[in-house]
Amino acid sequence: MPEFPPRRDDTPTFPLPHIEQTPPARISDHPEFHSLRRAQRRFGTRATVLSVGGFLLYVLLSSFVPAVMNQPLFGRLTIGLTLGLGQFVIMGVTAWCYVRHMRTRVDPLARGLRSRQHENDNRRARSAAAPPQGAGQPLQHGTRGFRTW
Amino acid sequence: MVTIAAIDDSSLQLTFVLFLTVVVITLFTALLTAPQRDEISEFYLGNRVMSPLRNGLAMCGDYLSAATLLGSTGLVALTGYDGLMYLGGTTVAWMMVLLLIAEPLHRTGKFTLGDTVALRLPRQQRPVRVALAVCILAIATLYLVAQLVGSVALLTQFTGVPSGTTRTLCVVVIGAFVILYASLGGMPGATVIQIIKAVMLIAGVLFTAGWVLYRFDWNPNALLERAADRSGTGLSFLEPGLRYGGTVSNKLDFLSLELAIVLGLAALPHVLMRLLAPRSSGVLRSSVLWAVGLVGAVCFGAGILGLGATALLGRDAIESTDRTGNASVLLLAHELGGSVLTALLTCLAYLTLLAVAVGLTLAAASSLAHDLYSEVIRKGRASETEELTVARLSGAVIGILGILLALVAWGANTATLAFLAFAIAASAILPTIIYTLFWRRFTAKGALLSLYGGLLCSVLLAVFSPVVSSAPASFYPEVDFAWFPLQNPGIVSIPLGFLLGWLGTVLDKGPAEDSTAHEEFEVRMLVGADD
Repeated sequence: MPEFPPRRDDTPTFPLPHIEQTPPARISDHPEFHSLRRAQRRFGTRATVLSVGGFLLYVLLSSFVPAVMNQPLFGRLTIGLTLGLGQFVIMGVTAWCYVRHMRTRVDPLARGLRSRQHENDNRRARSAAAPPQGAGQPLQHGTRGFRTW
Repeated sequence: MVTIAAIDDSSLQLTFVLFLTVVVITLFTALLTAPQRDEISEFYLGNRVMSPLRNGLAMCGDYLSAATLLGSTGLVALTGYDGLMYLGGTTVAWMMVLLLIAEPLHRTGKFTLGDTVALRLPRQQRPVRVALAVCILAIATLYLVAQLVGSVALLTQFTGVPSGTTRTLCVVVIGAFVILYASLGGMPGATVIQIIKAVMLIAGVLFTAGWVLYRFDWNPNALLERAADRSGTGLSFLEPGLRYGGTVSNKLDFLSLELAIVLGLAALPHVLMRLLAPRSSGVLRSSVLWAVGLVGAVCFGAGILGLGATALLGRDAIESTDRTGNASVLLLAHELGGSVLTALLTCLAYLTLLAVAVGLTLAAASSLAHDLYSEVIRKGRASETEELTVARLSGAVIGILGILLALVAWGANTATLAFLAFAIAASAILPTIIYTLFWRRFTAKGALLSLYGGLLCSVLLAVFSPVVSSAPASFYPEVDFAWFPLQNPGIVSIPLGFLLGWLGTVLDKGPAEDSTAHEEFEVRMLVGADD
């Protein structure tokens, strides 16, 4: 099993000061992780169905109900041509909503979880380093006291 | 096929000079920026600190082929509404990439798609990597042959049907450039040519579209009215059904084509490789946004060009030069700006197909070297220098394979080959990507079944379609073994690919993958290892 090296590991490795309770050991058990997954997946699916499905629906309508699509609206512009132009508008709006959704709902959660993950990793690294040194008790005490309480 | 030379000699000479100048300059730049150290990450991903705009330009350059510039404008010029719908599909395809694929794939990916799948299915990664490499090789070869055949078709616009020597020379020269760029330049070299091409393409198309609108006093309605008048079909030019109308199978054929285009893009190997290049997913998001906007602008401009060609030249002039309408942009350029503009757009078309071919060769070479050689044959023990040599060599081999196939199949229809490549991408690779990213239970057996099944199904359906036999324009018009009525297999093969992936997973009774593998994958996909 290949271990992928992390892309960039130069983020500061100090622990976060404001954590009230001990967080779950694994990030994937964290409630915030689940809401992150839900936020990203739900929006992605809905937006894709709207824009891609909307376009395929437009193709179907053009093929099978041409009478409706050929109604003139404006000079030579028919309903079909207008809906075709509308696809570009829908795409623009969807892309804008996507960026806004990611920026407000998804990115902050991901950032929070990422720093928590770093913190978890640090703790694991520290407890893994502790057992070999038998007289590490006071040292460990000091660091834990700083972090959690 | 074309019967007479469409455009005069002076613009051919001008094109030749222009094309050589651009190619020499870009080749020089590509070699200057080529990977200096033997690092595979530089060869596969190139410069990772580029701005979103430049990444977006490179994505746009990878995606838009000569088929968009010549083929779809020709389709608009001859069939109006149906051609415009096709152009819309070309743009909508990017939404799928932006909304579902790009960021999760970027967070979990390393160099190739095989790496993402291996992270998710670590135990049985080797057979899946082999299957992915086979599918990517099939797609890349088909699309590469389409580009090289397109170069012959483009030459035909100037000289009439070329002699055997001219044809060979044209394919070999373009193919040699492709190999040079891909093998020596790697991803940094390919990026240079993509960006230059994209800038020229966007500027050229928008400039000419603006000129067309200027001729109609910036009044789109006048353009539509004139195009309908001179299309020889009257108002039905602006109504659906001119190309894909009439029978139900014709309409389903169009739906099938749109389905393959809209879903296939997200699985094209050279586009996937481009998605992994930016360093952070924030940059990637802005890059894809740029790409969506630029591709939309080019497709919009191409629609105006197609309508303008019909409005200014009339259907008869376009159709008498080339039955498929591929000459319409060049004829339009000649009408508007004389031989200078014609030469510019022709040079652009050559550059476009050259750049797309480079991207494809590079994607196939990296898949062969990384997935097949390094991870399967050498089981991950190959050194970077070794892998890099294999990558360069396989670039050359794929290029030569493409040249040979293009020389054999030079009469083939470029669009048909490209559409088949899209259908394979959508029915073989897309199910694996979607399931890998979003389905918890997905197993290697499902991946194998959907990869091989989707590939086989789309190829077999194409073989037994009117593309190969029975129709007058097919490869074997005399015989008839076309029991599949549609020209595009997508409508059957894409659902089948998804179904096979599901079936393979459900029926998989073997030892399950570690549940931690999926958990780690999901954490990495959502939280990411970087910002």
